[in-house]
Amino acid sequence: MDQLLQQLINALSLGGIYAMLALGLAIVFSIVGLINFAHGDIMTFGGYGIFLSMVFGFPPIAALCIGLGAAVVMALAMERTAFRVMRGADVISLLITSFAVSEILKVLFQNGISARPVPISFPAAWSGSYQIGGMTIGVAPTASILVTIVSLGCLTFVLRRLAIGMAMRAAAEDFDMLRMLGVRANRVVAAAFAISGLLAGIAAVIWTAQRGSVDPMMGFFPVLKAFIATVLGGLGSLGGAVLGGFVVGTLEVLTQAFLPDALAPYRDAIVLSAVIAVLLVRPDGLLPARSGARS
Amino acid sequence: MTGQSDTVLDVEALDVRYGPVRAVRGISFGVARGGITALLGANGAGKSSTLMAIAGVVPVASGRVSLFGKPTAKTTPDAIVRSGVGICPEGRRIFASLSVEENLIVAGTAVATPQVAATRREEMMERFPILGERRRQLAGLLSGGEQQMLAVARALMGAPKLLLMDEPSLGLAPQMVDTIFSIIEELQREGISILLVEQNAALALEVANHAVVMANGEIAGQGAPADLAGDTLLKSAYLAA
Amino acid sequence: MKLKSLLLGSAIAALGTAAFAEDEYIIGVMSAQSGYLAPYDGPAYAGFKFCMDEKMANGGLNGSIPVRLIVKDTRSDIAYGVQVVQEMLDDGAQFIVSSADADPTIAAAQITAADMVPTMTFAGTAPVLTQVGPHVFGSYPGDNQQGAVLAGYARDQGFEKAWLLTSPDSAYTLGGPRYFGEVFETLGGEVVGESTFSLNQPDFSAIVTNIQNAETAPDVIVTWAWEPDFPAFIRALRGAGVETQVMGGDVLDTPTVRGLGDVVDGVVHTSGGYPEEGSAYAAFIDRFTEATGTTPDNNYYVNGCDIADMIEQAVAAAGTTDPAAVSAAMAEIEDGEATMSNFTFKGTDRMPLREVVVARITGDGEKEFVLRQMADPETLPKP
Repeated sequence: MDQLLQQLINALSLGGIYAMLALGLAIVFSIVGLINFAHGDIMTFGGYGIFLSMVFGFPPIAALCIGLGAAVVMALAMERTAFRVMRGADVISLLITSFAVSEILKVLFQNGISARPVPISFPAAWSGSYQIGGMTIGVAPTASILVTIVSLGCLTFVLRRLAIGMAMRAAAEDFDMLRMLGVRANRVVAAAFAISGLLAGIAAVIWTAQRGSVDPMMGFFPVLKAFIATVLGGLGSLGGAVLGGFVVGTLEVLTQAFLPDALAPYRDAIVLSAVIAVLLVRPDGLLPARSGARS
Repeated sequence: MTGQSDTVLDVEALDVRYGPVRAVRGISFGVARGGITALLGANGAGKSSTLMAIAGVVPVASGRVSLFGKPTAKTTPDAIVRSGVGICPEGRRIFASLSVEENLIVAGTAVATPQVAATRREEMMERFPILGERRRQLAGLLSGGEQQMLAVARALMGAPKLLLMDEPSLGLAPQMVDTIFSIIEELQREGISILLVEQNAALALEVANHAVVMANGEIAGQGAPADLAGDTLLKSAYLAA
Repeated sequence: MKLKSLLLGSAIAALGTAAFAEDEYIIGVMSAQSGYLAPYDGPAYAGFKFCMDEKMANGGLNGSIPVRLIVKDTRSDIAYGVQVVQEMLDDGAQFIVSSADADPTIAAAQITAADMVPTMTFAGTAPVLTQVGPHVFGSYPGDNQQGAVLAGYARDQGFEKAWLLTSPDSAYTLGGPRYFGEVFETLGGEVVGESTFSLNQPDFSAIVTNIQNAETAPDVIVTWAWEPDFPAFIRALRGAGVETQVMGGDVLDTPTVRGLGDVVDGVVHTSGGYPEEGSAYAAFIDRFTEATGTTPDNNYYVNGCDIADMIEQAVAAAGTTDPAAVSAAMAEIEDGEATMSNFTFKGTDRMPLREVVVARITGDGEKEFVLRQMADPETLPKP
């Protein structure tokens, strides 16, 4: 029983990271129709932001904030230079553009910083653990879950209560009508990218805190899982993205924890098969977006 | 005809193209200050394309559109709206997943300060009591007539001097249609100029002081409603009686 | 008259250069500049070139054979690496030095098999790599040797229950811990569990929780994982409060791992060498630092240099640069001299028998020498 609970905490922690990344993808997709393959590089850039600020002597907390800022800046820069020009283009062109951006960034990271992982050493206390009722629980996964909950809560508040959040929901539903109400489209899109960048930055912070290093491909693998999560949850659906993230994270942790050894090499295949099975039954995803016709 | 300062909208030799198709072919007309111009014609005559071009949503292939005396060449739709134009597009296009109140909040963000917007929202709720009753309901759950009122309320959030309305009577029960048209007259009395695209010619001619009849992308005739009403040829050929 | 002598002169010069070129020994080098192999290929090539340049300054291999290097970037991509090898063979390469990992080497070896061009890996240690053919050579002590020596050390220290963390995604990460386990059990220990991970797996918390809740708690955890997986694993492990001894392969001998701070304090790993004061290795480090300004901080530099020595000795023994003869001669070398440690190919399946060093990482990022030992051929596990 204890082991199950501990694994559930691991599942929530990993699922939370996937959920935040998936949400960032979904927000941009719902408004702009762009599947941003460079989203992983936003996360990696955030990680390098943390690394570089620590190299320059900033204390850990400040480094984390700088990392967050770096991710937001990268997301906005991406929108301004690469995607605004392509506004209104078809899905394939946008996809290819985001691939190109991703490749360029990877090469910049490799040549500008290092092709190999660079170490980040956070205070030892952050990797510590504590006891609750006989179970040992890590500080990092706990912090990860808390940060995820707070972030999702804040985002929900913004989307539900603040005018800019309502404008983003309106943009996702009918972008042109929003312009016909006098709203500056560029600002709404920039806000969407900024939020997706912030979420990627938070994911980067949690990720590097638990892994201790940043490399050029750091964001690639978790964002790949986040894509699967967005499709699972329903492309363009924000709630679906969050749900999909937790489902994928849980499946990964549970198969790692409880799958018999003989099946271990097939772990990824099993997780993906489960996703496909769900999609066969519900092709629009678990919580389909209201304006259905996307894929 | 009409002097510069008397027209809020001036359309000169407007051409609108969709690829090779010329949907609007060199038309010219205007909306007088404080007046209602009705844009009439059968389906596919080019009325909506004209309105969308004026709104800046669809590009102007050739010709000139002037709002409040200034040409609108290359102005984005949001900038046009911010210059004092309200738009009620065809099909109403209210944000179904937002509440009534949220629809109004969003409509107010770019065209008014938060305090002014809050005041105007209350005014709209008073003017359209049904919106006040349903303020927290999802806009997608409103009836057709209620949605039309919401669309009008949204367009009014910026205190526009010109209102562009595309087929406000479409799909509404006759009683609702009457209500909408009395609102249109009310707005005119308050000094708002209106360009009214309508298929229901009879009703439109009742409220308008200038009418433009389109057919196949061109203007078949324009003038005072009384004159047009008497032109039986025009009426039978082009007006959906 | 002048024109004729000019033509004659250039003809002789051309013949001369052609003849000179025939005496050149062309060595093709696969060196990844990016991707997961870059941290290993980079330093290895730097060391290799440094020592080759030293030999060239003395007239070439054995003082008489000039060497021409063809170096190409493989981007750590196996398919691309194969293409690169083919290009180098087309350009006349007579010896191929391949990337520092078993899988790219195996792929390259299948191309070089046609003409039996000797192929030696920078630092690949999975012994399966030499199974491709009699022309394939390791240069670093193999994982089976490293695992055997480490297991012997572990048993000497009194460890009894081992937990293995393997990944089937590479020969290295799969084989290393398993060789350890085999010898550990031969010496009386017990392997109480095994967890598997995928390379670049995002999260190790589930594995750590499994270990924590194992029926029989291990007293030593053994893994051949490398960056970024090892740092992720060790952080998760220590973060969960598990203080069990961790031991690993030679891939942990890098500054990045040492720089992880408290979490790696006490981690023991194998290595190919250790530069004691007064040793040839230490002298190499000084020479290299003085010449290039970079101080070698891992064994890949010196091993690259050793490869240059191995090639030189094989060519000397063969008496010719003919690829098949060089392969045969290399395979017979016994107790050849090299900087990091001596090497013996005779009697092995071409993974050289060399000393294995066991080292320990301290909390402030330093490496401590523990012991140096040759694996016992008797108990050495077969690939």
